[in-house]
Amino acid sequence: MEWFDALVQGILLGGMYAQYALGMALMFGVMRIVNISHGDLVILLSLIGISMATAWGLGPLPVLIVLVPLAVLMGWLLQKAVLNRVVGGDPLPSLIATFGLSIALQNLMLQIWSANSRSLPGHGIESQSIEIGSVYIGLLPLIVLAVATGLTWGLDLTLKRTRFGRALRAASADVEAAAMTGINPRAVYAMATAAAVGILGFAAVFQALRSTVAPADGPAQLIYAFEAVIIGGMGTVWGAFVGSMVLGISQAIGFRIDPGFGVLAGHIVFLIVLATRPQGLFGKALA
Amino acid sequence: MSAIPYVETEAPEVLVQRQTRSGRIAMTLAVLAMIAVAAMPWWASTGTIRSILVLCCYIAVAQMWNLLAGYAGLVSVGQHAFMGAAGYALFVLAQTYGINPFAAVFLSLLVPAALAVPIYLLLHRLDGPYFSIGTWVVAEVFRLTASNLPLVNSGAGMSLRVMKDYSAFERNVAMSLLCAGMLLVTLGGSYWLLRSRFGLALIAMRDNPVAAASQGVNVAKLRFLVYVASAVGCGLAGAIYFMAQLRITPGSAFDPMWANVAIFIVMVGGIGSIEGVLIGSLIFFIADRWFGEYGATYFVVLGLMTLLVALYARTGIWGLISKRWDAPWFPIRRKLVDPDR
Repeated sequence: MEWFDALVQGILLGGMYAQYALGMALMFGVMRIVNISHGDLVILLSLIGISMATAWGLGPLPVLIVLVPLAVLMGWLLQKAVLNRVVGGDPLPSLIATFGLSIALQNLMLQIWSANSRSLPGHGIESQSIEIGSVYIGLLPLIVLAVATGLTWGLDLTLKRTRFGRALRAASADVEAAAMTGINPRAVYAMATAAAVGILGFAAVFQALRSTVAPADGPAQLIYAFEAVIIGGMGTVWGAFVGSMVLGISQAIGFRIDPGFGVLAGHIVFLIVLATRPQGLFGKALA
Repeated sequence: MSAIPYVETEAPEVLVQRQTRSGRIAMTLAVLAMIAVAAMPWWASTGTIRSILVLCCYIAVAQMWNLLAGYAGLVSVGQHAFMGAAGYALFVLAQTYGINPFAAVFLSLLVPAALAVPIYLLLHRLDGPYFSIGTWVVAEVFRLTASNLPLVNSGAGMSLRVMKDYSAFERNVAMSLLCAGMLLVTLGGSYWLLRSRFGLALIAMRDNPVAAASQGVNVAKLRFLVYVASAVGCGLAGAIYFMAQLRITPGSAFDPMWANVAIFIVMVGGIGSIEGVLIGSLIFFIADRWFGEYGATYFVVLGLMTLLVALYARTGIWGLISKRWDAPWFPIRRKLVDPDR
């Protein structure tokens, strides 16, 4: 029963990680770019949300409604001002650029918000739970998982069914050929990053509700997102979702074995997947 | 089918010029600097020796990162894994097993070398940017493992108490000699490597890996060797740095700050050149002394500078200098000169 509980908690934790991983899978799938400041953007959005909540006395839902459009705008700006200049065959410029941005963001947040941990007041939502059998399930983690599932489903459908999704897939398959058929890659990239960072707007609110955030937390979130994407298989949206579940379950079980082992257990499962199935659980093996 | 007329010509008598005047001047200065570093106990205070030691570690780690990212195309953000591993190995060998600490510095290099092999075999499956974050995960695994390992006193860290058996002067001599040795191995070794046949292969690989492979360069093997060599070089810097610190904890041993430092130095100084590493190291060292007190603001500026270099001046300061004046400090080109002219 104890292990079943760990499994359930792991899946719920995975819901949180899925919200980080989706944006990363989208950006890598489309542009072959890894944004090192991915986690720092989550923390920045969280801190902005917390400040708004304290200044204007907003509840979690109004914060979410304000934060997601803000995140979309930030993503679009990031692409226009930085990423469009470094996207290309060589991965070095984009890595270094976002690495520099990450250090600048972390320390800027440290200046503005100090090193303290903060969280978003949820007005009771964070402490409610539902009892199923002998397992207690927190209401908030359940909402997180539901939102993550909804976002994954929505993103998958967007990529498959809409004009924008077709343009994205075309640009990721072959930029030049896509450009010849009338797609403007830069506009497509800007929309992809806007969508990816927009999803982080959701992640930011839930992260701040579920636990605390501090300016130095970003790199850990980046690593979890990255591990989820690799475990699931690069470039597939549902793969990132399942990868997040695997990572969440590994960490939850690890924490049950020994509190010092939780995060390490996730890393070890990631390395095992890398050693035995480098293309990820859902990826196709390279011919 | 007629044979293509082929005129017998003798290859003209040419000299291969490999050293320049600027190179000879720089080499003299470098040798003098190295002697000065080795002779520090006789002219510098312990405080100065410690500062120079940190500068030498910056140079060594930055050059190792330069070798990886600038030549092999392997952008690692987790080289501090090997610094910490060698540092811990030194502490365990010297403190727990009572081996002479100065000999243990060299013995401890076996650990990063042995770890680098399986890690590379695992990580080279990751593509470009994913390789980078993979190296970061490995460094995190090292840190968390050290935090849970009773052999290294878990999260509480270790102290190098055996050093009290040596006088301050003896320790200064050892630190100075180790620093000089580290510069010789990392900078001198890189210079020698780049001037050798391997250097040609490395430069070809830097410019275009596919073209280099078509010319017979074994890109995969060379990348592997560079990765292991860089791990050992970072390990040496780590062992020397933590020997001077006398104390190691999982947080300090596997501090991502070293990745920031290496990337800043190489990108601002100029990637793919030894001169760039020296310029970048000096800038960072001086900036750290002058502006370190501004804390977070200083790192914001550092981060933004790295971002701007990646966006607008990818060749860094040395790239801008060498475009104007053709006076390399460490010439690695082969220039053909006709002695009759």
